[in-house]
Amino acid sequence: MQINHCPKVEHSDDDFTSIKRYKSFVAVLLWMTVLMTSLTYASEDLHHFTTKSDELRYQTLIQQTRCVVCQGQNIADSNAPLATDLREKIFQMIHDKKSNEEIKNYLTKRYGEFILYQPRWNKLTYFLWAFPFISLLTLLGFLFSYALPKRRVS
Amino acid sequence: MKKIIPFLIIFGLCVLFYKELFYSHPEELPSALIGQSVPAFTLYDLTRPNIKFTETNFPHDRASLLNVWATWCHVCAQEHEMMMKITNEYHVPLYSIDYKDNADAARKWLANAGNPFILTGNDASGDVAIDLGVYGTPETFLISKKGKITYRYVGAITQEAWDQVLYPMIKKMDGEK
Repeated sequence: MQINHCPKVEHSDDDFTSIKRYKSFVAVLLWMTVLMTSLTYASEDLHHFTTKSDELRYQTLIQQTRCVVCQGQNIADSNAPLATDLREKIFQMIHDKKSNEEIKNYLTKRYGEFILYQPRWNKLTYFLWAFPFISLLTLLGFLFSYALPKRRVS
Repeated sequence: MKKIIPFLIIFGLCVLFYKELFYSHPEELPSALIGQSVPAFTLYDLTRPNIKFTETNFPHDRASLLNVWATWCHVCAQEHEMMMKITNEYHVPLYSIDYKDNADAARKWLANAGNPFILTGNDASGDVAIDLGVYGTPETFLISKKGKITYRYVGAITQEAWDQVLYPMIKKMDGEK
């Protein structure tokens, strides 16, 4: 894949040239793994919800929203600055008492249906949703009209 | 004949997989805003902070371009030469949004490398970019004289892309009444 589009990522210009610096870097990394559990907990705690159901709504929504920068991830797991911004937007909308449908409309209006991990039922997706049932019915029809009667005869 | 059918199905699948693997560009998303008006926004110009840049600034008599860039984006720096060319050689109205950037660094960059933009909105929070469905830089929006988003180009505009995609579209749009 040719990279000619820059998603915003945080990086420092530090170059670990000397071994001494490398060693201290490893030490910092080790400490970070030790502190990781409390750190992730702290970052989760940044948003304060008035009700438990709002918090649940927020968690579900960010898990079902694709990070368009790193397309295999949802915005709950992504560290991309755009994911952070979108989490903030979703939090704000929940705070403003917006419904799930309104929030999903906000996202798809800007980024398209692709941003939702669970495609909604509309004229673009009805075949997608119906296909497993259609194929199941076809298979059952085939089984009862063709495969089973044949077996009984033999 | 009946025995060939499974092989045909597998072959068809292989062709599809091959195409998806090597010829698709999943990272290039089509904009959800094609055919819609530019969302309302208010930004301040990067180099002249007392001047406002809103969706009404785009010209009504011809097509224009809106480029989203930042100094932290190395591809944007590569694209800058093309931006200068669009302004100086092709004379297409070119506007820009500086996305989540350090304003001082951006001003310095434009002062050194040249400023091809009529107006550059300073979008430090990235809110306007979210309204435009921007997911990275550079991205360039083609805006019709009616203020509608006609096309979005993702990535640095190359001479080839300009000659084959964007410039023909702009000429066609300017030719229409």
